[in-house]
Amino acid sequence: MSGFDYVITIGGAAGQGIATPGNILARLFARLGIHMYAYNAYQSIIRGGHSFLTIRCSDHEIRTHGDVIDLMICLNQDTMDRHLEHLGPNTSVIFNSDTIEPGKAADGVRLCPMAVTEIVGKGANKLMQNTVAIAVTCQLLGIEFKALEDVLNFQFSAKGEELMAMNVKVAWAAYEHSAANFKPASQQAPKPGRPLAVWAGNQAFAMAAAGAGVKFYCAYPMSPSTGILHWMAANGRELGIMVRQVEDEISVICMTVGAAHAGCRSMCATSGGGFALMTEGVGAAAMMEIPIVIVNVQRAGPSTGVPTKTEQGDLWQVLGASQGDFPKLILAPSSPLDAFQTIPEVFNLADKYQLPAIILSDLLISDETSTIDPELLDMHPLIDRGELITEVGDEAGNYERYKFTDSGISPRALPGIPGYEHVVATDEHMPDGVLISDEYTHPHKRRAMLEKRQRKMDGLLADLPPPAIVGDADAEVTLVGWGSTAGVIQEAIGQLAQAGVSVNHLHFKWLVPFHADEAVQLLSSCKRTIIVENNYSGLFHRYLRGETGFTVDGHIRKYDGEPFKPHHIVAAVQEQLEGGETLSVPYEEIIV
Amino acid sequence: MSIKLNVINLEKSEYTGGKSSLCPGCGHDQISKVIIQAAWENGIPPEGIVKMSGIGCSSKTPAYFLGKSHGFNTVHGRMPSVTTGAAMANKNLLYIGVSGDGDTASIGIGQFIHAIRRNLNMVYIIENNGVYGLTKGQYSATMERGSTKRKGQPNDQPPIDLCKMAINLGCGFVARSFSGSKKQLTALIKAGMSHNGMAIIDVISPCVTFANNDESYRSYGYVKDNEEPLHVADYIPHFSPIAEVDIPEGEYKDIELFDGSTLRLETISDHHDTSDVVAALSAIHYAEQQGKHVTGLLYFEADIPTADEVQGLVDIPLSSLPAELMRPSRAKHDELIRKLIG
Ligand SMILES: Cc1ncc(C[n+]2csc(CCOP(=O)(O)OP(=O)(O)O)c2C)c(N)n1
Ligand code: SF4
Ligand SMILES: [Mg+2]
Repeated sequence: MSGFDYVITIGGAAGQGIATPGNILARLFARLGIHMYAYNAYQSIIRGGHSFLTIRCSDHEIRTHGDVIDLMICLNQDTMDRHLEHLGPNTSVIFNSDTIEPGKAADGVRLCPMAVTEIVGKGANKLMQNTVAIAVTCQLLGIEFKALEDVLNFQFSAKGEELMAMNVKVAWAAYEHSAANFKPASQQAPKPGRPLAVWAGNQAFAMAAAGAGVKFYCAYPMSPSTGILHWMAANGRELGIMVRQVEDEISVICMTVGAAHAGCRSMCATSGGGFALMTEGVGAAAMMEIPIVIVNVQRAGPSTGVPTKTEQGDLWQVLGASQGDFPKLILAPSSPLDAFQTIPEVFNLADKYQLPAIILSDLLISDETSTIDPELLDMHPLIDRGELITEVGDEAGNYERYKFTDSGISPRALPGIPGYEHVVATDEHMPDGVLISDEYTHPHKRRAMLEKRQRKMDGLLADLPPPAIVGDADAEVTLVGWGSTAGVIQEAIGQLAQAGVSVNHLHFKWLVPFHADEAVQLLSSCKRTIIVENNYSGLFHRYLRGETGFTVDGHIRKYDGEPFKPHHIVAAVQEQLEGGETLSVPYEEIIV
Repeated sequence: MSIKLNVINLEKSEYTGGKSSLCPGCGHDQISKVIIQAAWENGIPPEGIVKMSGIGCSSKTPAYFLGKSHGFNTVHGRMPSVTTGAAMANKNLLYIGVSGDGDTASIGIGQFIHAIRRNLNMVYIIENNGVYGLTKGQYSATMERGSTKRKGQPNDQPPIDLCKMAINLGCGFVARSFSGSKKQLTALIKAGMSHNGMAIIDVISPCVTFANNDESYRSYGYVKDNEEPLHVADYIPHFSPIAEVDIPEGEYKDIELFDGSTLRLETISDHHDTSDVVAALSAIHYAEQQGKHVTGLLYFEADIPTADEVQGLVDIPLSSLPAELMRPSRAKHDELIRKLIG
């Protein structure tokens, strides 16, 4: 791909303030209209460890953190020691030469030592090395100082005039030093364009829910889902959303069910361990036919696993969550924007069909920070609450909460409407809500009610868009994916096209109910199918095979905690085309 | 210089653990040091100890002490039930549980209650900072109302006082301490180790990253200024003759512990009667009303039957029962079959 496409990394220990330079650069690029995608590799630690933030910026939209490193900022010696030898020619390396020794570098690596104390002056705050590094980065990329100055003022405005002025002064000194001493970067930033917005994946989930009319949100903190809680806590009061931090996930789901029963749109979010605690509640919502939305942000498992690493490992957990056989909706959005645009629809479907909806996100989507075109962000989507009875009507006095209907949807009266009094229960029941589980467990009644509930799945499936192939219909290879891998698959397909391999893309978002017939038709029309998954045993492939009877030709799997990079998929496809391999497990080069 | 050895001839280094990855200054690290000191001075063989924990910064600490002991890092909030299982399978080990206020008072409160009710034989240390450190400082259920963390709104929820709760549940050993009061904490942890039954030690342990500001009721500064010790605590191990220990000048009371050791409590101003439930609860209540933290041994009662005693566990740990005891005897077996034949 020609044009501007540049990857900056910042390495340091947790607590060294990596987030701040990351935020400053993200804001800076967005203001200049440069697209940005950031991925942070870090550990479950408050101080120390090794955090490695990758910020890729480009003149076109990007959905991955790329394949290479063009510039590395070392905030500590450890970063230098870990990564220097892996850097190629023309990479710039910025470091504080007062405290960090450069190591052995490949030919052509451009070292940019900064004697921070000399530039900043005595007694300067330790975090000033971050400002120095950002200023050098901007200078190397040919970004005007004024743009940086504006963002620094914005970033430090809350911390007082003095700190603001100090940072600008230090930045200017570093900028000038860089101009006088270092070669420009291997690429120069493009001319400023229309400013973009910056958001984090979890923010997209929270904003979408707020737009969809969520009035109750609760959670127990669990990485990597906590960002949703933080956004809700910060904005809930103003938006009129009841936000609760609850004592555990069992209570979280029960409160969500209760609030939804009483009539407000309700959502909760967690990660796999918390979801495991919620499972009994999922079935309860299904049995009582109460619409709730649960977000499960997957992290590397099992159990506590690797809290700060990504994986698509919870598919079967959500497929099998809770005892019994019951209707539910499960989907895996492919990006923050996709989540943002889909979530209102998920609420509408949950309301229409009165069932639990589970959204499978993962750390990769929820934790990313990226630029987004603000014009795409509409927080006033269509709200359709389905067959909801909110006032007295003809049926008053004869209301049956679980009335038998062809669609399986029984109009839902909110508690408190005279003449519509009813009992909901997790026991099996008759149309009027009377339990059939204690006195006489009438098999015909049980069958009729179970079928009524399950009929909802037919309507729901018909409402979901069928899967589709993107790209050349005659392609040599079809890459099949689900959820968060869409972006990296797309980029790999672009690279493969340049290498002369034609590849198209079949991506699944809606998982339950599943358009099996359409999927079989599409898959059977493909020449060679390779499935890409972020897990060990091909969890989605096993599901796909179960639903369709179709077996794909090859697999690309990664389960080391780090996400795929485009070249991992490119190399794997080539290996499978040339060598006849059927399973590729790409090797992760960056060790954090 | 000669190297100091404990009564079982081990150096202190036999009791240390890996390097801590917590934030420098975190209260939890001080508690780890005290646990090391206490286990070493009490002369407990490291291999006879099991460290239990849940999930949280606090629950990570077993990696930083007693490196030669066994450990079980469970899932969030479930340390008490996992410990119950372990203690039933092998009751001859010393179980030291380390938990956080989130781990215990939020997600694990039901487990905490039932472990006390069972009188599980263990030392249960809560490293209580009032926040969920590991998930970046949200208020937990023990934070005082009105207390304010760094960069936050004041906490608007009332706290759960774990000591009050433990006393009400009939726990026989309930103490509160502060990670900055090393001497008192060491004596209490040693005494907990010598106790037969559940020993709850709720330790205020400031989170320097998220709640160590002046407006936090759980900051070092605040606790130092507002700690109200009930007594000076001294632990006299069973292996050093009590007759040789100096008698304090003022009023004091000796508490005899299960293994023959003694906890000597020297009265500071008013005498606190550790055998009086009402006195214990009112001490907590008055301190709370005045924004103070009362510390020391709040309540003590020996001889409450422990979980293993109630279950009638045999002396041999279930985990090491010989094959012939693991299944019905030949006679019993034949009898069972005969019954089936009728
Ligand atoms: C089921 C589940 N939910 C949420 C989490 C995320 N989580 C990890 S530690 C923690 C809170 C820890 O707080 P505390 O016990 O007070 O320990 P501290 O870090 O303050 O020492 C949470 C919510 C988890 N690991 N498991
Ligand atoms: S975040 Fe708080 S509790 Fe966790 S290690 Fe740091 S200071 Fe300790
Ligand atoms: Mg805590």
